[in-house]
Amino acid sequence: MEITEKLSPIRKGLLEFVILKIVAGDKVYVADMLKMLGPTEFATQEGTLYPLLSKLRREELVDYEWQESDAGPPRKYYKLTPKGRTQLSTLNDYWKNLNKTLADLGN
Amino acid sequence: MQKVVTISLNGIAYQLEEPGYNQLRTYLERAESRLQDSPDRAEVMADLEQAIGEKCRAVLGPHKTVVNSAEVDRIIVEMGPVESADEREKAAGAGGESGASAGSGAQAGGPPPRKRLFQIREGAMWMGVCNGIAAYLNVDVTWIRLAFVLLTIFSSGLWFVTYLVLMFVVPVAHTPEDRAAAFGMPFNTEELISRAKKNFEEFGEKYRWRREWRRQQRHFNRQFRNMNEQLRVATAQAQPVIHSSARAIGLVFVPIAALISAVVAVAFILTLFSLLTQHTVFGWGLPHGVPLWVGIVALVMLYIAVSTPLRMIRHGGQQSAGYHPGLGAFHSLLWIGFVALLFWVSYTYLPGVREVVDSLTWAANLTVSTLTETIV
Repeated sequence: MEITEKLSPIRKGLLEFVILKIVAGDKVYVADMLKMLGPTEFATQEGTLYPLLSKLRREELVDYEWQESDAGPPRKYYKLTPKGRTQLSTLNDYWKNLNKTLADLGN
Repeated sequence: MQKVVTISLNGIAYQLEEPGYNQLRTYLERAESRLQDSPDRAEVMADLEQAIGEKCRAVLGPHKTVVNSAEVDRIIVEMGPVESADEREKAAGAGGESGASAGSGAQAGGPPPRKRLFQIREGAMWMGVCNGIAAYLNVDVTWIRLAFVLLTIFSSGLWFVTYLVLMFVVPVAHTPEDRAAAFGMPFNTEELISRAKKNFEEFGEKYRWRREWRRQQRHFNRQFRNMNEQLRVATAQAQPVIHSSARAIGLVFVPIAALISAVVAVAFILTLFSLLTQHTVFGWGLPHGVPLWVGIVALVMLYIAVSTPLRMIRHGGQQSAGYHPGLGAFHSLLWIGFVALLFWVSYTYLPGVREVVDSLTWAANLTVSTLTETIV
């Protein structure tokens, strides 16, 4: 099995973390998120992203606001909530620990 | 030239070519069923519609007002399969504990798609019923066609009715995804009836029914003429062999044949009614998981399998006795007599049969009394 295929569940699991990180910056529109992720290992599609964002909103980690657009109906722009910010820093710490563990093992 | 379907995505109208519309409808239906248990279903569906609408707008311009099928296909590929976020978590959680099982966990994102019976028009001889069955059973279509033709010939056309029924009952695979599902849910009964109605109406609208029917009839007539011609030649050649003593054998043989075929016919009719009214064969339930329609098809096949050889023997017997129209009439009279007698005997002595017949008369009485009440 290909390495990329082997690690695909890990990438899937990390997607939520990745989205929180993106949303932590400026307010973003889904199409822009997809464009941002496109060239990375976390490339994904609307079919995956919309359900995930709705879930994050239900868990009050992200929120959105409507913004008028020139090219059609108003769009949803997502941003991080205070609760989401706490979650993100917890995830960041966890990830750092994970990295450290991986680096230390076998040495 | 392509027919165009106008759709509304989140309140804005778009025009799509018909095959593209079918594709998109399947995609959205599938998305909705995937999100069935999600509390965010309505919201996600609206988001998806908006995203699709935006992608449609991107390909439209002042001189291009219709989204063609290829563009719809591309949009669907871009959107990607919709997976509920909660399901995704569960799938990751199941495979996440041990590294070894993680890979297989990822592939087992959902249960394998269940197979579905469809009519597949592509590469079909007529309406694609055989084609669909072949895909469903995963056998070569030639075998299914051969089976249908043989069954139709042996049942002297009765089996053809099965084809007609399937034609109205089985859905048509419109999209590549349907066709994929054809190779990969047995359909349930309510769906079945409503679909049969709808298909029948649509079919009538297109007048294709009549045209196809006439074509088929011409085809059959031609074949029957050929067959009759051959038969006539064959009997003319066999004529000298027949001698008069054979007629006496025929006289003895005809009543026996009439009795046997009456028994088979009565048993068939009673079993069929029992299946239809009580979903059992006189108290014997169908094996678990076998739908009713399979039971009925099996019963019809059994009847054909038993009655056909009988009829062939009888025809053979009459032929050798030298065909005499009196013998045919004699057989029919005896047959009717035996059928009536058997019905009476089974009604009197078999409680299972009595139950079925009584429930039928009860239903008939109810219908009659309701009708008279409405009229009076």
